[in-house]
Amino acid sequence: MGKRIYAGIDIGSLSSEAVILGENGILGYSVRNTGADPQRVAQECMEEALARANVAKEDVLSIVATGYGRIRVPFADREITEITCHAKGAHFLFPETRTVIDIGGQDSKVITLDERGAVTDFAMNDRCAAGTGRFLEVMATALETKLSELGQRSLEAKKGVPISSMCTVFAESEVISLIAEGKRREEIMRGLHEAISSRVYRMAKKLRVKKEITFTGGVAKNQGIVKVLEVLFKMPVNVPDEPQIVGALGAALYARSAGPRAR
Amino acid sequence: MENERAREKLIKWAVKSPLTYRLLRPVLDLLTRKNDNEPFKIWVRFLLDAMNNSYARKQPVVWMSAFTPSEIAYGMGYVPFMPEIIASVVTYLGKSKGPIALANAYASSDLCSFHRCALGLVMEDYLPKPDLIISSSYLCEGANKFFHYLASYYRCPHLMVDAPYRGGSAAKKYVADQLKELVDKSSRLLGLVPDMSVMSQALELSNKARAYIAEINRLRRSRPSPFPGSEGLSYLAGMVFYSLGSKWGVDFFKTLHLSLEQKVAKGEGYLPEEKYRLLWLHHIRPYYKNEIFKILEEKKAAVSFEETNYLYWPALEPSKPYESLADKIISNIWAGSLERRVHAIEEMVEEYDIDGVIHFSHWGCRQSCGGAAVVGDVLKQKGLPYIVLPGDGADPDNFSPGQTRTRLEALIEMLG
Repeated sequence: MGKRIYAGIDIGSLSSEAVILGENGILGYSVRNTGADPQRVAQECMEEALARANVAKEDVLSIVATGYGRIRVPFADREITEITCHAKGAHFLFPETRTVIDIGGQDSKVITLDERGAVTDFAMNDRCAAGTGRFLEVMATALETKLSELGQRSLEAKKGVPISSMCTVFAESEVISLIAEGKRREEIMRGLHEAISSRVYRMAKKLRVKKEITFTGGVAKNQGIVKVLEVLFKMPVNVPDEPQIVGALGAALYARSAGPRAR
Repeated sequence: MENERAREKLIKWAVKSPLTYRLLRPVLDLLTRKNDNEPFKIWVRFLLDAMNNSYARKQPVVWMSAFTPSEIAYGMGYVPFMPEIIASVVTYLGKSKGPIALANAYASSDLCSFHRCALGLVMEDYLPKPDLIISSSYLCEGANKFFHYLASYYRCPHLMVDAPYRGGSAAKKYVADQLKELVDKSSRLLGLVPDMSVMSQALELSNKARAYIAEINRLRRSRPSPFPGSEGLSYLAGMVFYSLGSKWGVDFFKTLHLSLEQKVAKGEGYLPEEKYRLLWLHHIRPYYKNEIFKILEEKKAAVSFEETNYLYWPALEPSKPYESLADKIISNIWAGSLERRVHAIEEMVEEYDIDGVIHFSHWGCRQSCGGAAVVGDVLKQKGLPYIVLPGDGADPDNFSPGQTRTRLEALIEMLG
């Protein structure tokens, strides 16, 4: 009997991830910037994840692609939306998950799911990238800080400075004006996190949010946003060790449940 | 530059010349002789005839908002011209971006893109000048303001039909009185004597078409779905708005009925394989090139019915035109309270054995999108997968292909 190994690949707008899944869990994964060539990054991501898992490409029985670039992965056997995959991945990591908040590079989603991890409803932002990973990247630059430090530094502020615009362009100007007015940067950061979180909260109100909530996507690494979301939703929020790979993990789980590709 | 100007001038002359439409008719007949979609061909001929009449100006040209009963115009011997429908045709032909860009300089970008497209066409002087404009307060509040502006632009009279929020006999009388006044006023303004026998005839023609619509809707309950929702939202809906009260309408719906009868008898569906049956909410879809229906087809999901083609009005009484048309107006499920629309949607879900629902959310359109969340709550409680699909019917720049694909595919994945 051969190895039962499956893979999932998530081609997002800003980052791409691949997960190699064995019978007992994740064998290896890779996270890369998507850049301008989704096909090439898909290939590189997969090769890196396979190398880390110490698995030969031929041993992978089936691959599912997800994310906005899912239709551009030539070696995938099937495509499934990131909505369905994030639900599946979050449910695998935290089986009591009934709501997923996924904030990625250029969009944010709230997904409700049943006890099997199947999607029951979802809401997503419309058209613009306000309140997403890209938004935070631009704000970090305006605040002259590293993206990875935004969350921790915002926790040092006792209150947030209200940010009125969520448009990436206008909010950037607003942040620059607030700095010029002498507002503390930590308070501006907290204000930004409050604005993003309340946007997600409003989106979630369209659905029947149930506990547990699991936060996925790159923005889940921001502890400042996690804390504000916990206050707004009045419940703890699960954050996976590597929140960026949850979509790819869900894709790999679907690959595994569908079984080996037809030969 | 000179060449470009000369070309534009020539195109405008051709668009505004009735001769173009008379010449196009035999040309298109010849080009489409192998196309067996007879109803579509009637729609094209109807449009060519409407354009010919609108530019020839042998009878008064009356601009009407899409929700104003067209029977009034045909019954009065006017040539109805519906700018919103024309905007959708212009969009379908891939020409909406220019007029919308032009209109954006004058109108708020929150104004419906069909109105902005029509406004751009007005400003570029492509459309036939109206002798009179008639609009209605339902369903689209923005339309009244838009038509009012056009009336001042063209310096022509504007008459409006106001429909009350609630139905009942007082409402019916209120609307019937307005319709009578509308007929009196418009004939006075245009120097015509109304012939009520022509009005009765228009109502009879509308009734004949209505009877076929009822049968068409019954046939569309069949499995597999015999008629594509994408076409239900384009020329079928266009004929419901524009042709009722004319012989064209009877001819179109009779032909479509016959074609569907044959398809249903043979068990033919419009998709190669049908796994899911969907209901489309809202009157419109994006008319520019997009992949919505292709994605659904790939997933074996048929749009089996659209709420815009729901037959909401009772048969008209040709001897009582004002009361009958008032009845039609106040029966409109999209006007008045949301409960009525929700009940009708529940009925459609049941009758068409619907697995999932798409509510298209047209940019700037308050009348239907305002209720999208409530409609969703009701359907979700019944365990029916439901998505709101944001987009724009006429402006291709206001459409997100990637997000649209994700929403549609996620809906299908929810269906299992």
